[in-house]
Amino acid sequence: MTADFLLYGVINTLCVVLISPLFVSLVKKVKAWSQGRQGPSVFQTYYTLAKLLKKEVIYSRNASWIMRITPWACISAILVASLFVPLVVVTEPVGGIGNIILFLYLLVLARFFMALSGLDAGSAFGGMGSSREMSISAVIEPTTIIVFAALAFVFKSLNLIDMVTVAAAAGIPVSPTLILIGISLFIILIVETSRIPVDNPETHLELTMIHEGMILEQSGRNLALMELSAAIKQTLLMALLINLLIPWGLATTFSFAAIAVALCLFAAKGAILALVIGLFESSMSKMRFFRLPSLFMMAFFFSTLTIIIEVFA
Amino acid sequence: MIGLLFYAVIALFLAGTVISLPGTARDTRIIRTLSLACTAGASLLLAVLSLIILVSGVPFTPAAWQLFPGFSVDFFIDRLAAFFLFLIGSVSACVAIYTMGYVEHMEGGNRRNLLCGCISLFVLVMALIVASENTISFLFFWELMAAVSFFLVMYEYTQEETRKAGIFYFVMTHLSTLFVMLGIIAFYYASGSFAIAPLHATPVSLPLVTAAFLLLFVGFSIKAGIIPFHKWLPYAHPASPSPVSALMSGVMLKVAVYGLLRFIITVFSPDLWWGVLILALGIASAVLGVIYALKEHDIKGMLAYSSIENIGIIFVGIGLFVIFSCSGLAVLATLSLLAALFHSLNHALFKSLLFLTAGSVVHATHTRDIEKMGGLSGKMPYTSVLFFTGAIAIAALPPLNGFASELMMYIAFFQSVTVVDPLLKVLLFICLALFALTSALSAACFVKAFGSVFLAQPRSPESEGAHEVNFPMLAGPAILAAACVILGVFAYQILTAFGYVLPIPDLFLVSLLLLIMAALTYVVLYFTASHDIRISETWGCGAKSQPSSTEYTGHGFSEPIVTIFSSIYRTKKSSTKTYYDQHDCIFAEGTAEIRLLKFFEEYLYLPIARGATRASARIARIQNGCLDTYLLYVFIAVVAVILFLGWSA
Repeated sequence: MTADFLLYGVINTLCVVLISPLFVSLVKKVKAWSQGRQGPSVFQTYYTLAKLLKKEVIYSRNASWIMRITPWACISAILVASLFVPLVVVTEPVGGIGNIILFLYLLVLARFFMALSGLDAGSAFGGMGSSREMSISAVIEPTTIIVFAALAFVFKSLNLIDMVTVAAAAGIPVSPTLILIGISLFIILIVETSRIPVDNPETHLELTMIHEGMILEQSGRNLALMELSAAIKQTLLMALLINLLIPWGLATTFSFAAIAVALCLFAAKGAILALVIGLFESSMSKMRFFRLPSLFMMAFFFSTLTIIIEVFA
Repeated sequence: MIGLLFYAVIALFLAGTVISLPGTARDTRIIRTLSLACTAGASLLLAVLSLIILVSGVPFTPAAWQLFPGFSVDFFIDRLAAFFLFLIGSVSACVAIYTMGYVEHMEGGNRRNLLCGCISLFVLVMALIVASENTISFLFFWELMAAVSFFLVMYEYTQEETRKAGIFYFVMTHLSTLFVMLGIIAFYYASGSFAIAPLHATPVSLPLVTAAFLLLFVGFSIKAGIIPFHKWLPYAHPASPSPVSALMSGVMLKVAVYGLLRFIITVFSPDLWWGVLILALGIASAVLGVIYALKEHDIKGMLAYSSIENIGIIFVGIGLFVIFSCSGLAVLATLSLLAALFHSLNHALFKSLLFLTAGSVVHATHTRDIEKMGGLSGKMPYTSVLFFTGAIAIAALPPLNGFASELMMYIAFFQSVTVVDPLLKVLLFICLALFALTSALSAACFVKAFGSVFLAQPRSPESEGAHEVNFPMLAGPAILAAACVILGVFAYQILTAFGYVLPIPDLFLVSLLLLIMAALTYVVLYFTASHDIRISETWGCGAKSQPSSTEYTGHGFSEPIVTIFSSIYRTKKSSTKTYYDQHDCIFAEGTAEIRLLKFFEEYLYLPIARGATRASARIARIQNGCLDTYLLYVFIAVVAVILFLGWSA
């Protein structure tokens, strides 16, 4: 592991951990505005996390060791995955870090543990959440892999860090087909972060909840870890969309000024994307669960179109 | 040295069989243990022997045995054969250790001794198939394997279910032998020799070579459980004792994979369409296998369907290998072949691990229905950890071995951009999407399996009274679990050591990073977070306590997927209702039924079986038992012979 990569890892991890709660609150704020409310402060998620850390952890009498290790497994899988997506600065990847398939499967690893912990307490809510989460993730998976294959196709690389490097060097979208991929990536972002029309992050109603159902039995610092890993996952997918489509301003050297500028730009671009997500969520209604596959088919269509365009171009 | 080792292995296996024979008269534990120790020792030696050949890369040819004139048993072990021998040896050794504990809890008195002897013979025969140098000895041991495995499946022959499964297996496995035999005959006519050696097709012999390939392919596919020839797996695996299921699913299916690979690599020079055929059947088996597995609530039946899925994945690798080598992409072809081989080994390890731990669970709860389990992680903590390792490996999650081999397959798929033919490229991308679906569904399947069996509260009195199993039943699976972890984490280093430097990520680095991140989080939380822990009830909307009947069951868990893929399951929902009033408001009574259509059985197997029955009924009419008719037959035959001779003269 080179010194450059170590530095990259530290900067990237710090950025992602610190900025993720902000984006979560931003989306909430936008949704509140669109509903005519004032909404919570943009720093509310930080306060919530700090509060949760001070609370005791409550385990169910039925819960096994799965419940106890899940928060750790989730946060470490997501943090390792965060190394795969450069937020503000790019560098030379080391030992296959940045591999697009590994990135996807680290997210699956976190999901696997989360779904098991949903079943662990023996509550029907958790089971329902796990069941729906695994079903949705199974149906969206072909789309995700085709989107990633299309990305690999366009950038001629399997490595996310390399892709972002290429994009940063170009400064503009490297291929017009990327816009099509962007649409699919946006749908994947909505699905993976459990947002309307797939899931509703605000409610704890059994009819709508998926992600919230699974973490219903989590409490205290464990819940804080789960919330943080969900926030980081959202930031990673946002960063993927931002840094591949509108990469300008990304730092290519480890100079303090360049990184500071890149961070400000990333926060600004992220805020805009959060605005889009919030407006998108507000303008949609929750879809019936079994109507979801047709939404996924749309994303599948766009990514397949990209591939066909690239193949026959 | 190697020669001595080879004969020692054979002698030890035979000793394992012979020892157990006198024990059939008396029910003695020492004989069983001794016989299984022989099997374990011989398997271990086999693994060592094959590892030596694998590392040195020097093929080994033991002296041939002339059994009787015209039939000699020749052996030849190159790196490919050595790889599969390693697979057989390492898995069988762990299964034999497990069986030492398992067999003592089994029903059946002194029949158990025979079981131990048969297991020893079974492993030996599989090893000899792989080591065979000519088609005759290949076929001889192939048939012996079919016979021995039939006895193993029929162990609990007193049960109706087992007898049905056994007969089904017997018919299917002999269908497989028939096709392999026909294939070998066609191969003999094409090449003029029984040796498994390169065959150069000329325009004249091309149809014969193609026929030989197709016949062999069908034969091996039946044995490997490729859809639509898969139906025997979900019958035979649940019916046989768990160590036997582990051996059959983990090892025997791989012998069929070996057969296919051996003929494709050594003998034939494949065409592109062969690759497309293998790929298409492989991907169909993978997707359908896992979709059926999700529906299954018999824990061993589920594992059997999951075997079909994994064999499908291996066939996908083989198909890609053929396609890439026909397209002249040598690097990608090597990558796909290695992925197929690596996945064979990985599947052998984690599937036998899962079958063995499932056997422990079935032994503890006396049921195979996962709806009646639940809450076992507290009662069987070690077994739960072992099963969990297997589940992570089979769900292809990093950094375990299942992920390592699927990663190689994904990389091969992603790089199929370099294939020239655009149509082929589109086909490969469709297969990629289906492959991803398979992998995600298999994660869902094993969340369901582990969740229903080990988590939450026990859902039956049997599960309530379950207890941890004895030491050998933990030791065998523990070795397999350790192998799963090591082969995953060090996949890159191991492949590099064998001289294959592949563009795959270093999973050791990833595992290290996972540990570092967990440690960093721990340090941060140690100083910032509260350390209080309280144990309490699960929240149940205000109810004081929740019975286990409120839990989410396996059926409930897979319901959304079953509904989404209902057109594949072909579930038939029918209901009848009667009402008290004429406006159909007050419900009086009714029936509702959800039935799973056994698609392949009802539309493929049964029509063939009925056709065969009809044809044989027609032929049987000749045999009417009347002397006059037989005299007439003789007369007609004589006249026909006279006419024929007159004609030909």
